[in-house]
Amino acid sequence: MAEFFQHIINGISVGAIYALIALGYTMVYGVLKLINFAHGDVFMIGAMVGWYVARWTGESRDPSIPGALLVTLASMLACAILGFVIERAAYRPLRNSPRLNSLITAIGVSFFLEYGGQYVFGPNPRVFTVLPRHPGLHVGPVSLGYVDVVTVVVSVVLMFLLQRIVFHTRMGTAMRAVSYNSTVASLMGVNIDLVISFTFVLGSVLAAVAGILYASKYPSVQPLMGLMPGLKAFVAAVLGGIGNVPGAMLGGLVLGLAEQIVSGYLSSSWRDAVAFGILILVLLVRPTGLLGRGEAEKV
Amino acid sequence: MAGLFGGSALTQARRALLSWLPFVAAIPVLWLVQHFWAEQPDWEYAFQNINHIGIAIILAVSLNLVNGLTGQFSIGHAGFMAVGGYVSAVLLLRGPAQDPYRLFFIASIAAGAGAAALAGWLVGKPSLRLRGDYLAIVTLGFGEIIRVIIENTPLFGRAIGLSPIPRYADFTWIWTAAIATILITKRLRDSTHGRAFLSVREDEVAAEAMGVDTTGYKVRAFVISAGMAGVAGALSGSFEGNLSPQSFTFVRSFEVVAMVVLGGMGSITGSTIAAAVLTLLPEYLRALANLRMVIYSIALVVLMLVRPRGLLGTREIWDLLPWRRGKGGPPPAKTPELSEALIDVRHATIRFGGLTAVCDFSLTVKPRELVALIGPNGAGKTTVFNLLTGVYPPTEGSILVRGRDTRGLAPHDIAHLGLARTFQNSRLFRELTAFDNVRLGCHHLTRESMAASVRKGELAEVEEKWITQRSEELLAVMGLLHRRDDLAKNLPYGEQRRLEIARALATDPKALLLDEPAAGTNQKEKSELMQLIRDIRDRFGVAVVLIEHDMKLVMGVSERILVLDHGVTIAQGLPREIQTNPRVIEAYLGEKYAREHAGQIAAGRVHQ
Repeated sequence: MAEFFQHIINGISVGAIYALIALGYTMVYGVLKLINFAHGDVFMIGAMVGWYVARWTGESRDPSIPGALLVTLASMLACAILGFVIERAAYRPLRNSPRLNSLITAIGVSFFLEYGGQYVFGPNPRVFTVLPRHPGLHVGPVSLGYVDVVTVVVSVVLMFLLQRIVFHTRMGTAMRAVSYNSTVASLMGVNIDLVISFTFVLGSVLAAVAGILYASKYPSVQPLMGLMPGLKAFVAAVLGGIGNVPGAMLGGLVLGLAEQIVSGYLSSSWRDAVAFGILILVLLVRPTGLLGRGEAEKV
Repeated sequence: MAGLFGGSALTQARRALLSWLPFVAAIPVLWLVQHFWAEQPDWEYAFQNINHIGIAIILAVSLNLVNGLTGQFSIGHAGFMAVGGYVSAVLLLRGPAQDPYRLFFIASIAAGAGAAALAGWLVGKPSLRLRGDYLAIVTLGFGEIIRVIIENTPLFGRAIGLSPIPRYADFTWIWTAAIATILITKRLRDSTHGRAFLSVREDEVAAEAMGVDTTGYKVRAFVISAGMAGVAGALSGSFEGNLSPQSFTFVRSFEVVAMVVLGGMGSITGSTIAAAVLTLLPEYLRALANLRMVIYSIALVVLMLVRPRGLLGTREIWDLLPWRRGKGGPPPAKTPELSEALIDVRHATIRFGGLTAVCDFSLTVKPRELVALIGPNGAGKTTVFNLLTGVYPPTEGSILVRGRDTRGLAPHDIAHLGLARTFQNSRLFRELTAFDNVRLGCHHLTRESMAASVRKGELAEVEEKWITQRSEELLAVMGLLHRRDDLAKNLPYGEQRRLEIARALATDPKALLLDEPAAGTNQKEKSELMQLIRDIRDRFGVAVVLIEHDMKLVMGVSERILVLDHGVTIAQGLPREIQTNPRVIEAYLGEKYAREHAGQIAAGRVHQ
């Protein structure tokens, strides 16, 4: 039983990170109907910037809580700029062209970040330490890792904030309007360009935090680290219903739990296959996802 | 030509020879090249590159079938290559030590291709039902999962890989396969199946309405493409002598995608040339090898911004050559007219969420009848067409087309039953020529198999001639023959609308559904259209159901009129009766107007 609880805790912690990334996918899909392939790599850049800043400030030699906050803020800022630039330079000129073209562009941007990162950073993983060492909590035989606790707390706070932004601010209302029908929203005076830029920035900021948390959990950084978590977060977004903000959170948690339980009770080498299996299952059984609504093409 | 479908032994033999000619001619040449150059030590490095190019060509041309011609987006080609490579390698490693006639080798390639095609089916079937971007993610995931599976399976040598694989694949083998891939893809593209692939890329809804099973064609393209990638994997393994999971990463898939996109989506020569260039480039620019992926990705983004269809687009290098024109081949005998109702809608209702778009709608259309469906904007007219053609299933009630209940049928099945339609905002295959648009309409009348198209079988050829003749006739009837080879998007508006009617007629319908054919046309065109609709009925023996706002046209052409308002049928009858029906006038012009102009209404002079 203790083992089971341990898996649940690990699952929630991983799932929270997936959920943070999935939010970026789902928000961008909501406003642009575009799968932002490069999102997983923004997450990677977040971790990488964190690594550089931590080395520069001496945080990686002597970790402290304020230092960790500084590193995270710097990485959030960097990713916000990156997300803004990607949308502006690569996606905006193609907004009215066929979806296939934006998809190819997105893949191009993704590979540019991965292999550009590899060129600058080198292909080998490097150790990532930002949070101070701490033995973590022990509840009976179940241990709560320090990083896990921080991850869950930070994610819950961020998701709560995001919920406020999306459902209780003017910008959030504009986002939802654009996602519902961008033409009509623009006729109502919503500045679509601004809303889309904001959505990218918001998603990228969340990805940056997820990057720092993920890199702290498996304390390493490397240029291709965004690939798998990015893919899984996308599956989480589809599972929850793509375009649906609460859905992305739910999808992330479900995926994280499923993965931990499979790797705990079956074999850890099949962990990466779980996401793919879930994706196929969702596409077969309920393509609109757990919380999504169907949308028929207008003829 | 002797006999249409039988053919004498002589023509049979000639046909077979022509079909295999490229191989009959090429294999001895390849073998001689192999013998005199490839086996010389001085040439070893050059031929290593040439063989890598051959394998890259197989990969790029086969991926082009999915990404270029069918307009889907797969980025996991290396995964299928891995499946083919490993299956073939495992067989070769356990096979007989000596294989002098290479029979076992051929069998192992076939097994690899089959396994890859099966994997393609498993991946494609669930994800291709949905549109667009899902396939990209699923194939991406698939590529990774295949690697995970290989790295965890002792049979596949885990992370270390398999070696030594018997090195049977040489220049002759690889280039025979490359030529075969190019030829199969080209012949498929030039056949009616190729037009079906293109129609999926251009407009899935319109393709369904023309009777193309879009999901079926997507899956077929995907399975064929995966199988070819499997061949490439089998050859690659047997050429290198070893296989390791590291050679099937994303990078490999992405290189192939780059080849297809750079060469031109849909251009076979483009893919071939790009495969050669992108294979040689890193070899001769060693300094750039590390930056290769960075350069590819920048090139891809820039190309999308500047030239979205790739360098060659859908054209081929030799595309300036004139098309061959064919004649002959009789059209099949028309099926006898049915006396029963063609279309029988019984109490159909459809709700979207809380909105009842069409309520308790009933309609029968007899053969050769001209029926008009009118009503104010938002009355649910187009929804009725969407119900009839199976775009939406009715929430309640039933729809019978030629006596068959259409519930559960896909739009392309209903097109097969004999319903053809045009769209309110015309949905032509914009990047195809007028001729190809009409030829595509003939697609569902063809019986040739894909294999026959590739072999250039006799039935395929006869059908192709028949399609050409029929399509040219239809273009002539619509006065569009001079536009035969123009792209649909370049036609003036009025001609686009007529082309859409020609395309719908090409499906050999029993009933033609026209959704506002006169919208945006001028008075002269409208009176021509009126005559055209009557001509179509007389010449092709079809019933016509017309949605139209232009009352002059409606009154002039229709034998019966049905009026919808807010999804409810408010009147039905002869044109004369409808013109003076107070409920209709009220729906159109408002209650007040109807009261004030009662006199004119009675005289039938309202609304032109």
